[in-house]
Amino acid sequence: MNDLSLMLADVRRGMIPAYVYNDEEVFKLEKEHIFERSWIFLAHESEIPAPGDYVVRRILEDNFIVARDEAGEVRVMFNMCLHRGMQICRAELGNASHFRCSYHGWSYRNDGKLVGLPFHNEAYGGEDGFTKIGQSLLPAPSVATFNGLIFVNLDPNAQPFLEFLGDFAFYLDFYTKQSGDGVEVRGPQRWRVKSNWKIGAENAAGDSYHTPQTHRSVVEIGLFREPTGAKRKEGALYWCDKGGGTTYKLPPGTFRERLRYVGYSDEMIDRMESSWSLEQQRLIGDDGFMISAATLFPTFSLVHNWPKVDANADDDEVVPFITMRVWQPISATETEILSWFIVDKNATEEFKEASYKGYLMCFGSTGMFEQDDVENWVSITSLAGGSMARRLLLNSRMGLTSTDKPLNKPLADFHGPGLAYVGYGEFNQRALLKEWADCIEKPLDETVQLVMGEKVVASDSKGGGK
Amino acid sequence: MATSRMDAAGMKPLSFGDPRHLEAHQFLVDESYLLDAQLYDDWLEKLTEDIHYLVPVRVTTARSSEFDTSPGMAHFDDDMYSLKLRAARFATEHAWTEDPPSRLRHYITNVRSFETETSAELFVQSAVLLFRSRGDNREPNFLSATREDILRREAGMLKLAKRLVIMDESVVRMQNLAIFL
Repeated sequence: MNDLSLMLADVRRGMIPAYVYNDEEVFKLEKEHIFERSWIFLAHESEIPAPGDYVVRRILEDNFIVARDEAGEVRVMFNMCLHRGMQICRAELGNASHFRCSYHGWSYRNDGKLVGLPFHNEAYGGEDGFTKIGQSLLPAPSVATFNGLIFVNLDPNAQPFLEFLGDFAFYLDFYTKQSGDGVEVRGPQRWRVKSNWKIGAENAAGDSYHTPQTHRSVVEIGLFREPTGAKRKEGALYWCDKGGGTTYKLPPGTFRERLRYVGYSDEMIDRMESSWSLEQQRLIGDDGFMISAATLFPTFSLVHNWPKVDANADDDEVVPFITMRVWQPISATETEILSWFIVDKNATEEFKEASYKGYLMCFGSTGMFEQDDVENWVSITSLAGGSMARRLLLNSRMGLTSTDKPLNKPLADFHGPGLAYVGYGEFNQRALLKEWADCIEKPLDETVQLVMGEKVVASDSKGGGK
Repeated sequence: MATSRMDAAGMKPLSFGDPRHLEAHQFLVDESYLLDAQLYDDWLEKLTEDIHYLVPVRVTTARSSEFDTSPGMAHFDDDMYSLKLRAARFATEHAWTEDPPSRLRHYITNVRSFETETSAELFVQSAVLLFRSRGDNREPNFLSATREDILRREAGMLKLAKRLVIMDESVVRMQNLAIFL
């Protein structure tokens, strides 16, 4: 890595040292400064609807069981046996009342409580040698749910999730609260791409500029009527607290007419009307913007799109779909993408199927949009590892003059929170990487060490910051 | 293990010398040639109009579980309309992920054929190993899977009416599935 403070200064002025997309030292900093203390999406509650349901998910190398216990509460537990460190649950989803370690047979209830310890008396002299009572799998340090989305932060003293989320919640509702009962999800599809995780996160946050070129083929085949250059630059880009996204400008009409235009039925629109605030409705009805892609720092992205799904449909007949994904880093040069399909729980089965079909055609491992995205991102990552890339600052200053003024003024009458601009611009990518730079720069706190469920504060396990 | 799969038990297996088995085997090898060469318009000709092409997401589950594919989520769940669109996209000049094209090789083996209750249809199992190489400095990728097909005779020709592909990996080690299995 080149000089850290110089690198961060370059990033903050929108000149991105190309090597940040392929550098072991940068990745090491990201691990400690970002992934060990950011809110990371793990699962949606609808994946584990019944007591005993569980999924297994990761934050980097840390493996967690996300389970619904017998009392119906969601538990997130470090998937490591307290005894010798074996992975307790080796399936990725299922239903279980207990998890039993395959090594020595210690067993845990699905709320994490240690309940079985073979030969407790003979091996430990019972409670005297090993206090079983009160022991449980290590809980995730900080857990929060919002609209059924389960987020985890490895920092026990993390900023409260709602505070972190801030007013980005306004936008998250469009994707995950289309009715009072919320959404259900399918998936995830999981696949690995030789791409740095930041590239996808930046793309979804604000890259409306890539659509006309990268996704030209899907317009040519008639799958999607929107992403021509002209259409995309009429959309607004917004950034708000820790997240931002892109929108499309829709033809004139009311809230209802515009939702119909992207394929929602009246009964779905009725539910949106009752779940969204007046201001949320005005973003669509008055301002005419329909949410498209978005990213919540660091690795959680969403997409809303409306392709032509039915062979016999009229030219204007489209079906909307929503997907969310996590850009889960494997290394500096590899990302596992976990991609879910999201739909209003109260939608008709017919809508759910058509929307799912639209998702499969457009996004995910086989999606005709996404296929071309990853081709680009893999190529960037590969080139970013060379010595020439260390000499190159990538220009991420779109939408700014040479004196750092926005080319277009922020929208004055935009009904969403945060700052919004119409036209092409890399405002959101810069905002995301500025957040990234702030995290990298922020000193590390002391790490709390946990010994068999007992808290012991280590004074200097990480040097107490810089 | 998986309940989502077609069940060959109870179906009458065809001997390797049976002309119907030979014809089914030849169908798969000929099809492989088209998939390797990315001759997708020709490939579509080998599918029935009511084709269902399904590639569920494989998941790791306990042996006692009654499923090993994701409930409700697939990689492909395609009919003729979406397959035609995919083929049409590759035929544009702007499907970047396959231009330059991948070098593909579909190795087909372990072919078993079975009679079904319908004389016009054969049930055919096969294993497929796909090798995919792109560019000059990327590691090539493999995909291993089993396939369960219904081949239906239409106007004297065998056509693929249904394909279920069960992948051998839960996490796909390939940048995308801009290929067919």
